[in-house]
Amino acid sequence: MIQTRAGRPKFYVHYEDFNKRLDEWIEAARIDLSREVEWPAPEKPEKKKVASNKADKATPKADTKSLKRSRTQLDREVSGTPSEATSVANNAPPKVQRKESELLVTTEVTDGTTPKPEDEEMDIVDVQDAAAAAKAVNGNTNNDQYSREDEIEKLRTSGSMTQNQTEIARVRNIEKVQMGKYEIEPWYFSPYPIDFIDVDMVYICEFCLNYYGDVTQFERHRSKCTLLHPPGNEIYRDDYVSFFEIDGRRQRTWCRNLCLLSKLFLDHKTLYYDVDPFLFYCMATRDEHGCHLVGYFSKEKESAEGYNVACILTLPQYQRKGFGKLLIDFSYLLSKREGKLGSPEKPLSDLGLLGYRAYWQEIIVDLLMDGRTEANIEDLGAATAMTTNDVLHTLQNLNMLRYTSKNQHVVVLTDAVIEQRERQKAKEKVKGKRTIEPDRLIWKPPVFSAASRTWNW
Amino acid sequence: MTQRVTGQRFRQRKLSVKQNLQVLREKDIEQLADDDATRHIPKVETGVEKGEEIEHHLQAVISAAQAAAQSGGKIAQLYIPTPDAVASKLLYEDLYPKRFTQPATYIRFSSTVEDTIGCPYCMTSEDVAWLRQYNKKHKGVPCTEDDFEQAINFFEETTQTKQPYANVDNSPVLAYEDLEVEFDETISESARRFARDIYEHWKQERLRKSNRPLMPSLKFETNLETDDADPYVCFRRREVRQVRKTRGRDAQVTEKLKKLRKELEDARFLMSQVKRRELLIREQLAMDKMIFQQRSELKEIKRRLTIKVDDEELLINQRVRFINRANLVNRCGMLTCPQPVSKPKAPRVDTQVVHRNIPGMGPKSQATRPDGRLVDSDLVYLEDQQAKKNELIDGFIEENLHKHQKWNQGWVDATWRPITPPLEQAPAKSDFRRVFTDSQLPTPPTSVSSGENNNVTAVDKSDKQNASRRNARIRFATPPDDVPYHDQSRFRRRTGRGGRIMVDRRGVKCQKIEGFDERVADRWNFAGDSSEDEQIYPVDWTDNLHIRYRIMIERQGENKSAQAAAAAASQNRKAIENHNRSVSGHLLPPGGIQRPG
Repeated sequence: MIQTRAGRPKFYVHYEDFNKRLDEWIEAARIDLSREVEWPAPEKPEKKKVASNKADKATPKADTKSLKRSRTQLDREVSGTPSEATSVANNAPPKVQRKESELLVTTEVTDGTTPKPEDEEMDIVDVQDAAAAAKAVNGNTNNDQYSREDEIEKLRTSGSMTQNQTEIARVRNIEKVQMGKYEIEPWYFSPYPIDFIDVDMVYICEFCLNYYGDVTQFERHRSKCTLLHPPGNEIYRDDYVSFFEIDGRRQRTWCRNLCLLSKLFLDHKTLYYDVDPFLFYCMATRDEHGCHLVGYFSKEKESAEGYNVACILTLPQYQRKGFGKLLIDFSYLLSKREGKLGSPEKPLSDLGLLGYRAYWQEIIVDLLMDGRTEANIEDLGAATAMTTNDVLHTLQNLNMLRYTSKNQHVVVLTDAVIEQRERQKAKEKVKGKRTIEPDRLIWKPPVFSAASRTWNW
Repeated sequence: MTQRVTGQRFRQRKLSVKQNLQVLREKDIEQLADDDATRHIPKVETGVEKGEEIEHHLQAVISAAQAAAQSGGKIAQLYIPTPDAVASKLLYEDLYPKRFTQPATYIRFSSTVEDTIGCPYCMTSEDVAWLRQYNKKHKGVPCTEDDFEQAINFFEETTQTKQPYANVDNSPVLAYEDLEVEFDETISESARRFARDIYEHWKQERLRKSNRPLMPSLKFETNLETDDADPYVCFRRREVRQVRKTRGRDAQVTEKLKKLRKELEDARFLMSQVKRRELLIREQLAMDKMIFQQRSELKEIKRRLTIKVDDEELLINQRVRFINRANLVNRCGMLTCPQPVSKPKAPRVDTQVVHRNIPGMGPKSQATRPDGRLVDSDLVYLEDQQAKKNELIDGFIEENLHKHQKWNQGWVDATWRPITPPLEQAPAKSDFRRVFTDSQLPTPPTSVSSGENNNVTAVDKSDKQNASRRNARIRFATPPDDVPYHDQSRFRRRTGRGGRIMVDRRGVKCQKIEGFDERVADRWNFAGDSSEDEQIYPVDWTDNLHIRYRIMIERQGENKSAQAAAAAASQNRKAIENHNRSVSGHLLPPGGIQRPG
């Protein structure tokens, strides 16, 4: 994919089997044209699935070519053992290929035709056309995939994390955002005003989340903006964080701004429809400047599937500080108050899955370690407001569910799990543990009448 | 991840989520050689999209975690790499001043972003440059940034309303004159002064952007075909599920709208009435104040003129109202006539004015007040009203009694304490006579609680205070104020069926019952006619009605005992016992409590 930015052509690179947040725009100099490029088999009908298909099928013969990747610019180590399926290819140490000139590119195919040899060695499709092309491909060749109508119907009826095919093809459009004390590199596409694709930096007001492409404008805005915290009712406060509850219908602008912002960091989030049917629970830290938004989760006012979280995000500048666990914990606290079991909306992102798994593991292992001799999966769920499926998932994932020779299922507190928990506890002792204290939540589950849901009153 | 082992040796039971499972430590279970162990536990999906599940970093972390869970070895902490956030070069302290003070209570807030950001247009660096130039060129009051933004914002918004499709249909930039006529309160005086000059700049900017809004804005749906594929179109309205249109449904909707309309209308009317009332109250307060002031003036004058009449009527409104118009004339006369002729005329005029302003004191001829509203000319007196009301009540009771009697014609009312006493003449006043004896006749104790006294047959009073009440056949025995009730002993003679003569007693002091001997007790055996009545109306105590009644009583008793103290309950019981013994003439259910009212 190519696009001319700031006078020079730049190429959009997607690293196969890596998350799109690591995609980047690179200049032509970084593309190694001396090597043979492995073209995706053009006759394959599912162009959209090329990435995944090839990962499975191409692995055996992928000796040195397309599956070698380097994370040169972002300079991140590929650490640990990758999944078994791709381990052969990935065992070639990435560090060998760290030189920029050796960068190999797998192109993302957005066109159904076989690439012509006289072409540049890239599939060149205008960004703007990508969506249309993808749509055409979908519509013409893939009858097993969703039609556009089905997609829209799915968007309408399911929650906010539903993604449609054309949007998966979107590429990151914003260069950088400035928010509060930080400059952040966005991860994904977000439908901010189209004018912003040309600016170097989008300035986002930390309190009202308004966005400006010009620093002067932003400074002017800051001189006028009087908002100092998320514009809703504080429902929880401890000495570390506060939670604000915000109704998407009452604070439409703010919630839209929040969604635009979070779309930068959430791939599977749709902004196709408006924010009205959601409540936003925003976590903020406080100081003399105001309440700084750290993360949030949204929640459908009424979830048909029993989800207690729609989107959940800790802003990148606050990630890996334990805020995610607080958010998750708080979402389950709300579910407990409602007397319901809850589960996050699917699909989860990779980070989301890990976050939830860590939380589930901690909660369930703690519960099992209280000295009980018997446990029942439903009761575990009821005590934690987790669905039985999630409990099952957690136990299984930790290899704690075993089948004995006595023809019985048992729950095994494995040494590994206990050890992990002890280590974690030791760490908490050193660092101090942040928790949500249920007593500090002043909240009653809001009730919405049928009229307010159907008529947007 | 895939542990599908084919060729099972035996059937395994399915995992039940309801079943209690043993919790064991690892050392407690025998190690199973193969990983058959988990093969029958269905794999739960991760919830991550299939295409992404295989992503390198996720798999790396997951397998590391798995390794940790299984082997327990020290595994390096892995994380999924994400693009970095770095500290910004902008001066945070300048942009975000320390303004926040945390309130003691949780924040409650409902202002929207629009409420809190002031003028939505923010100056760009070009605007700043232009404005600096402009202020340099033009002497006099400089145009402030706020004025500038206000003007631009006004142009923008007006354009938006006048040319909603400006960015689609290539309409020309609006002329200044078109904009000027739209000036309203959203643009301040100070900004208007510069509006014409700013317009030129705005037009330039607008043309540069091919007449699109200057502030970048989100793309909303335009109801065009291209909407769907456009990734920048966001926040569409979630369309409401279409309901099938039928005539019935249409009518229903119309009804609903009508009702809504009416309710809104009502609410509006109510509000306007409330407003009127409040205005009237304000007027009245002003009036009262004036009255007070003029009264005090009058008092001053009186004092000055040494008129010695009591000031009462000047001080209290209520008293003034009670003086009717007839002696108003007197008083006017009193005020003026007895005065020596030497007194000046002026105060007389004053008093007239005062009287006119006191409600109810104005002369009859004065139909309207000075402010044009009607004087409440017919003064209503409390006594009249009360008398009227009493009459109304008496009439109502009388009427209902008649009606009831008519209903009961030819029937015997066998209910306990019927509304209409069965075929009994109203006892004459003289029926009850005070007995002046020193020695009281022995009688069962009277009912103690006064609540039991409003009992139709037994109660009457000899005192003549409530003559009017006596007309009604339902009587309410109020103890006279002068004598303690229990000290009065009253008797009544009446003629029962078959010419029997009965003497009813009330208020007779209790004698020691224990002192009775069999013979004496026998003497009173037929004192009440309850036994006779029971014979007349034989009742099957086990029939459904009675059983139900008793159950009800039982329940009532329970309720009561839950609330009332034990003492009260025992008192009740005593009262009932007494009642059963003393009250005669009507059927009494055994142990029944029924308090009238």
